[in-house]
Amino acid sequence: MTTRLTRRATLALAAAFAAAPALAQDGWPSGPLHVYVGFPAGSSPDTLARIVTEPLAERLGQPVVIENKPGAGGVIGIQQMLANAGDGLTFGTTINGPLTTAQRTMDDTGYDVDADIVPVTLIATSPLVLVVNAESDITDLQSFIDAAGAEPEALAYGSVGQGSGAHLTAELFADEAGVTMLHVPFTSYAEVTTSIAGGEIDAGFMAPSAALPLVDGGQLRMLGITSAEPFAQVPDVPVMAGRAGLPEDFRAELWNGFVAPAGTDAAIVERLTTEINDILADPAVQEQLLAIGWVAAPGTPAEMEERIAADTEMWGGVLDRIEAAE
Amino acid sequence: MSTWDGLLTGFAFALQPGVLIYCLLGVTLGTFIGVLPGIGAMAAISLLLPITYYISAEAALIMLAGVYYGAQYGGAVSSILLRLPGTPQSAVTALDGYPLARQGRAGVALFTSMISSFAGSVIGIVVLVLLAGWLSRAAVAFGAADYAAMMVLGLVAASTIGSAHPAKGFAMIVFGMLLGCIGTDVNSGVQRFVMGRTEMLDGINLVALAMGLFGVAEVIGNVRDPDRQAVAGRIGLRAMAPERDDLKRMPLPVLRGSALGSFFGALPGTGSTLSSFLAYAVERRVARRPERFGQGAIEGVAGPEAANNSASITAFVPTLTLGIPGDPIMALMLGALVIHGVQPGPMMLETRPEMFWGLVASFGIGNLLLLILNLPLIGIWVSLLRIPFRWLYPAILIFVCLGVWSVRGLTFDIVMVAGIGLAGYLLALARFNPALLLLGFVLGPLIETNLRRALLISRGDPMVFLERPISAFFVVATAGLLVYSAIQAWRRRETPEPGGASADGP
Amino acid sequence: MKRDWPDIWGGLALALVGLAAAGWAWVHYDPGTLRRMGPGAFPLGLGLALAGLGAAIAVPALRRAGAPVKPEPWAAACVLAAILVFGLGLRPLGLVLATASAVLISTLPAPRPGAVWRLVLAALVTALTVVLFHVGLQMTLPLWPRL
Repeated sequence: MTTRLTRRATLALAAAFAAAPALAQDGWPSGPLHVYVGFPAGSSPDTLARIVTEPLAERLGQPVVIENKPGAGGVIGIQQMLANAGDGLTFGTTINGPLTTAQRTMDDTGYDVDADIVPVTLIATSPLVLVVNAESDITDLQSFIDAAGAEPEALAYGSVGQGSGAHLTAELFADEAGVTMLHVPFTSYAEVTTSIAGGEIDAGFMAPSAALPLVDGGQLRMLGITSAEPFAQVPDVPVMAGRAGLPEDFRAELWNGFVAPAGTDAAIVERLTTEINDILADPAVQEQLLAIGWVAAPGTPAEMEERIAADTEMWGGVLDRIEAAE
Repeated sequence: MSTWDGLLTGFAFALQPGVLIYCLLGVTLGTFIGVLPGIGAMAAISLLLPITYYISAEAALIMLAGVYYGAQYGGAVSSILLRLPGTPQSAVTALDGYPLARQGRAGVALFTSMISSFAGSVIGIVVLVLLAGWLSRAAVAFGAADYAAMMVLGLVAASTIGSAHPAKGFAMIVFGMLLGCIGTDVNSGVQRFVMGRTEMLDGINLVALAMGLFGVAEVIGNVRDPDRQAVAGRIGLRAMAPERDDLKRMPLPVLRGSALGSFFGALPGTGSTLSSFLAYAVERRVARRPERFGQGAIEGVAGPEAANNSASITAFVPTLTLGIPGDPIMALMLGALVIHGVQPGPMMLETRPEMFWGLVASFGIGNLLLLILNLPLIGIWVSLLRIPFRWLYPAILIFVCLGVWSVRGLTFDIVMVAGIGLAGYLLALARFNPALLLLGFVLGPLIETNLRRALLISRGDPMVFLERPISAFFVVATAGLLVYSAIQAWRRRETPEPGGASADGP
Repeated sequence: MKRDWPDIWGGLALALVGLAAAGWAWVHYDPGTLRRMGPGAFPLGLGLALAGLGAAIAVPALRRAGAPVKPEPWAAACVLAAILVFGLGLRPLGLVLATASAVLISTLPAPRPGAVWRLVLAALVTALTVVLFHVGLQMTLPLWPRL
């Protein structure tokens, strides 16, 4: 997998080099960069932003200030980036939610993804694992689907909120597997894992790092992972796609990307794409990202735009079905 | 490794100069951060996070933990001296600590708070060492129904705090719970009462509410108060030392507070705020003359301070034994560990014994350092009262604003503080108790989400509250408390006590 | 006629807030069923409870004497104005000017005449704020207006 990433990064790098001379003349960046993060300091998206911006600051020769503006699932971070835009030095990193599903789950986000936001590049993706209590009779994906299909809402699963990645992934899964499960929303993975370990609810989709401590402690069991390939943080967990009757292209990932406000100079966007791709090609950075549950996923602005469009459509379909069921 | 060997290893580790210095740094910063109203451990730990990349994982954790429990010591100082809680957990300390300060006994109140904090922490450490396994099993065994039933008991138990007028007390709790409804509803995702503001989606910021209700309202009420300017002169050396009678009043409240704090601290999500309120309510219930509360009762300082400090120690139980952070600050510390490649959780005791025991030992060392640091500071803190209030309150206002701003960096929250401050001032004029509003605000959302979650999981069967043993226990206890209160109220009506109804409001 | 005015006004205000919240919840949010309680159930119940409690506070107060209160509208207005100026001025004015102007506004109602101590205090608090929050806590706030 690492080779694939590196190759993609090299391609992007080569493509972007053509634009580099034009930029070198105008002396950007003229001051510190401000990168808005819609999550609190120390959270996983914040740590990710810091891992990437620390080398970025060195390469650009200007400090990068992380502005933590937590709230509303990351939407406040985007709003604040847009409110402070205009100097060519204001950017943001965000998870997928604010760019794909927030327009559907919130009354008014105050911005239009297509018109107001310029994608720079994806930074990393994170798959989700399906987790059950280690003492339950459910030992693999097939027995999970069998148990869930026994009757409607035979199994209850936890998520980190209505419309969260964990909720939508579970509904996508249920739809593909032809079962209905009872959705129990929580506010954090900590609560979900405790509830599964206590035997109160049956299952949950979550980031591997959220499940790991209790899996190691023998209280939880991981049944499968939603990425296309096995995930290095939990190499033994089987990929779900193509198993137990699930389609070959079953895939659900959270991602994190670097964005700029609309109106940012195209040359600046290209420069940033190049630099970030370069940073993500560094094995040390990849290792740091993996430690917090993310796998580096560099690419071009166009690729990120495609990903936003594809995910908006896919999760929009899931949201349609959830709304229809209510 | 036995407990004893573990502790020896831990102390050997934590006493190394290279580790000790970070412990000292952590607790010192924690104390000062705690004193500043609104700026909590969260802001300080976020600030220190980048530094932790450059030191060992053990030293980083010990330093961040020092900030966490050190802030509890400092939080009491501004509560007592200025009736301005340095941290939301210490809001209840102001109820009796501030009247003590007004009586010229600020030194005694601070001394009580320091000693109780220390004793509470030590008890918390003992509980952590002896009962960590049991507490972590309890944390997992607690389901939604159990939390809901427990919170209701907490609410009923605390509803009599500081008010001889029951309807006014209940009204504040209900108002607080109603304010707690603002924001995205966890169970349905519906955005309630947000009036189109994205900033409101996560609800009213707890720090903004606490600072507005206590800090701003208090400042408005005292700007032109000539009394407030004159507290100073009366403080003599004699007033600094507690009297024999004060000392006799402390041990039992400290023990009760520590027991409550140790238990609630270990449950993920409830936090130390609840435990300090409950400790206060318990002291008021068991007191022979409850009307002394709100007028400067030593027990009203000792109980809650012991509770929130022991809670801040046992709060590490789920984090260390299960890898489950009990509150956002714990999540932040957990994040710091993960950056270092340490995975906290059930395996940590085996894979990283020096980290687990080193941390436990550092709790003991850190609290001793806090005591040594804080006792001499009492004199300096008290001398703050010699400064005329007009020199202090503008700085207080600025600190409150920046403290609120530090939580999420939004100007909107500062504007909220002004609004909440106005409401708080009006409520104070009408002699309502803001502490109960804060309690309702903290407990309301917990009760609502857990009650609805319990009914969802039970597929709509309300018997779940009686079928689960833990929940059944709390339901029965709540019923018992209500019956007991009713009997007491009826008896009091039979034989009216002279002058009993004067303790209304803050 | 003696009346307990603080309780009458306080109870009345809370009752109105409760009724408004309950009404809003009734119109906008689904109360749901016992199995799946909706987002409207709690606000509706709490709003009605608050309305009832507010009435229970206000009505008995009509027939008893209460302790007098001394509202300080000037102090309240200045303190709140100081907070708003600070909050809204933080970004455009920068930390130094926002702090200094907020301090000056907040000292207006202080019971001591003279401009000198006010200016000295503004300078002191501003210096302390910059040292504590900008230098010490490293908050990412602009010090001066963005030109």
